[in-house]
Amino acid sequence: MIEVSHLKKTYSNGLEVLKDVNAVIGKGEVISIIGPSGTGKSTFLRCLNLLETPSGGSIVVNGEDLLSPKTDISAVRCKMGMVFQSFNLFNHLSIMENLCIGPMKLLGKSRESAQARAMELLSMVGLAEKANAMPSQLSGGQKQRVAIARCLSMDPEIILFDEPTSALDPTMVSEVLGVIRTLAKQGMTMVIVTHEMRFARDVSTRIFYMDQGVVYEEGTPEQIFENPQKERTRIFINRIRDYNYQIHSANYDLYQLQGGITQFCNKYFLPQPVQFNIQLLTEEALQIVPLGKGTTDLALRYSEKTGLIALELLMPAGIASVLHNPTTPPDGLSMSIIEGLCSKIEETAENLPEGERLRLRFEIKQIS
Amino acid sequence: MKFLAKALFPLLLIFLAACGPKQDADTPVYREIADLYGKKVAATTGSSQESQLATRHPQIEILRFDTDADLLNALLAGKCDAMAVDQHIFKYFSQITEGAVELEEPLFSVGIGFCFGKGDNVELREQFNAFLRQIKADGTYDQIVDRWINNAHTSKMPDIPLPEDGEPIRMATNSTAPPLVFMKDGELVGFDIEIAKRFAASIGRRVVLSDMNFTALIPSLVSRTQDIAFCGINITEERKKSIDFSDPYFNCNSIVAVRMENSEGYTADGANVQQESLASRIATSFRRNILEEKRYLLIVDGLKITFIISLLSCLLGTLLGALVCWMRMSRNKLLCGFSNFYISIMRGMPVLVLLMIMFYVVFAGTSLNSVTVAVITFGMNFAAYVCEMFRSAIESVDKGQTEAGVALGFTPFKTFIYIVLPQAFKQVLPVFKGETISLVKTTSIVGFIAVQDLTKVGDIIRSRTFDAFFPLVMVAVLYFIVSWLFAAALDYIGKKAS
Repeated sequence: MIEVSHLKKTYSNGLEVLKDVNAVIGKGEVISIIGPSGTGKSTFLRCLNLLETPSGGSIVVNGEDLLSPKTDISAVRCKMGMVFQSFNLFNHLSIMENLCIGPMKLLGKSRESAQARAMELLSMVGLAEKANAMPSQLSGGQKQRVAIARCLSMDPEIILFDEPTSALDPTMVSEVLGVIRTLAKQGMTMVIVTHEMRFARDVSTRIFYMDQGVVYEEGTPEQIFENPQKERTRIFINRIRDYNYQIHSANYDLYQLQGGITQFCNKYFLPQPVQFNIQLLTEEALQIVPLGKGTTDLALRYSEKTGLIALELLMPAGIASVLHNPTTPPDGLSMSIIEGLCSKIEETAENLPEGERLRLRFEIKQIS
Repeated sequence: MKFLAKALFPLLLIFLAACGPKQDADTPVYREIADLYGKKVAATTGSSQESQLATRHPQIEILRFDTDADLLNALLAGKCDAMAVDQHIFKYFSQITEGAVELEEPLFSVGIGFCFGKGDNVELREQFNAFLRQIKADGTYDQIVDRWINNAHTSKMPDIPLPEDGEPIRMATNSTAPPLVFMKDGELVGFDIEIAKRFAASIGRRVVLSDMNFTALIPSLVSRTQDIAFCGINITEERKKSIDFSDPYFNCNSIVAVRMENSEGYTADGANVQQESLASRIATSFRRNILEEKRYLLIVDGLKITFIISLLSCLLGTLLGALVCWMRMSRNKLLCGFSNFYISIMRGMPVLVLLMIMFYVVFAGTSLNSVTVAVITFGMNFAAYVCEMFRSAIESVDKGQTEAGVALGFTPFKTFIYIVLPQAFKQVLPVFKGETISLVKTTSIVGFIAVQDLTKVGDIIRSRTFDAFFPLVMVAVLYFIVSWLFAAALDYIGKKAS
């Protein structure tokens, strides 16, 4: 139904938001787009109905190329509803008129049939009694439900949702999500940019994880939420927070590093014993690795979702192994302390742009 | 009721102010012009009295007014100590009011002439001089003098048949200079008018008369918008530099007049002790200013002109404003730059100056009438303000509204019409109303280009009755009503639209 290939968007200030987006959306699918802020999720969605003009690539909707000058974009938009973060109800019109203006002016419906359909839709979103109210008299959740009904009044083939619950009080989120769930059950094709992870997981047929201006990983909700394949997806899904430090020589500033770790732990409310274990592990782990042959990248990762804490050391290129180095085996005392602290220790070789580097990963035992 | 209260309050204030000048126990007596050194003497702007006073008696402080009637009003109201004026005009005044007395010492004596554009119309001027010699020879001239200089109040204009068509002589004058030129029964009459008409009749040409401010007469010749100007214009060397004069048609003495109580031999227990009641004063004033000579017809005409100019300039300005606004908001740099330039020029110039430029420079050679020029000028000025109002109203409509409209399938143009415009309209209406009312009041300057609007009519009546109070208050109330009508109409439109 929608085919997007090599979509690019660069803003006039030179900011490249979308680098190369490729996606296919079929009829009846419910796609949730998730990802960190500022990675182009909304921009991508707004490109789909040309609220933003792409700088390159192509968008084909039902066989029609949107970027061809021959395409009547307004006609395409009639079939493609959009729900905004800030509702954008027409402030000068009553709820009923908000729902009727499109069908009457654009679809040529009579006032009677437009109003009859509007009442149906308002009942569906539970707001029939507000038909004659003005938008300013409604709560945020009610406004968003009216906005959804307004979209439906045009009988669209697909609806785009741009963070539909981000501007709502937490108490009103569920009433809006409820309406979207109902639509999903009815088989409406939808693309939803959202931060509501559980909702995305429940309602979607597929998830797009967007990061760094591309669809970084896509898959079924199970694939993305249970078993993300890629590093950044994992970090996002497991809500992993990290602390990074670079070590350039054996005479690194240990106190600065320890201070940084303390600050990081305090920020995420890690208890004192855990903090102590982290500091100890860091100190011992740095004992067993060779320092001074290049830059060692230290990363401390904490998943807010699972509670897992891991220390990762990315060694300079040229070191093949630390744990199984036959010439200089790791210090026995340090090793036994580390083994006591960790539930899992592994080393893997990683292919990075600058060459192959060894990654050591220590997962700290969870204190129950 | 509220409306009445609003209207009555300013009336009351003016009544209190109009109760007349206070009488000093120690009243000075002025016998000759030298007694007035260090005092204030009123003269009309651009008149020879003004320049003669300044050169011969530099010790006198000169107050400048627009019409001779204003001089008398100012003198009687105690705003100045004396006035310098033509003797024949003062004679005319004295026939109506007794408040002022002329000093025996004359200021100066000078001939007055008809004025022609410099260098051109030599033939017309020769014809006029010949005509003047002829009427002086055959006795007509003496009849005219007798009719207007000696008996202006009772005289009627004789019937002078003039051709209805053919190329006209364009004549400019100022109707506030009795007995030379003044308004009677809704018609221009007087010494100068009769001479002008007889002259036109003698050469068999049609006459188009324009009534404009005294200060505008000579510029109108310079800009070639008029052929002849007359209004007791003194022949001076300075004026000869920019225009040509006919032979003098009357010898004009200028005198200085003071209030009666400042004159020699005045005793306080004169006729002015008896006080009329307030009610009868208002009744007299009403009769003199409105009923006599059917002056209400004049007022209705002035009201019509003010209303028409206001309405048309408001419509023109709104349309033009919308156009400029569109240019201002367009992405085309040229259009945007032009509209910016237009707005800053219009806002940075007094409307009066713009009006004069339009009349005497831009449309000088065209046959556009002055009402049209006024409408164009006010429309252009109004547009600059309206444009910025429109723009800020449109920009105040949230961008999300446009996005929602476009996303629903409206074209950008339809989105603007159905979604943005109704919301902007609501925003702009209160400011627009204020600006419209201000426009109505601004139109009061059209008198400068010879349009007889409400203000001008008030001036004309004042020049006849020498009553400042009633014509001014009446004009004020009428302006108030017109403004109120405009505001009410806009309110109605606003209600209808929502």
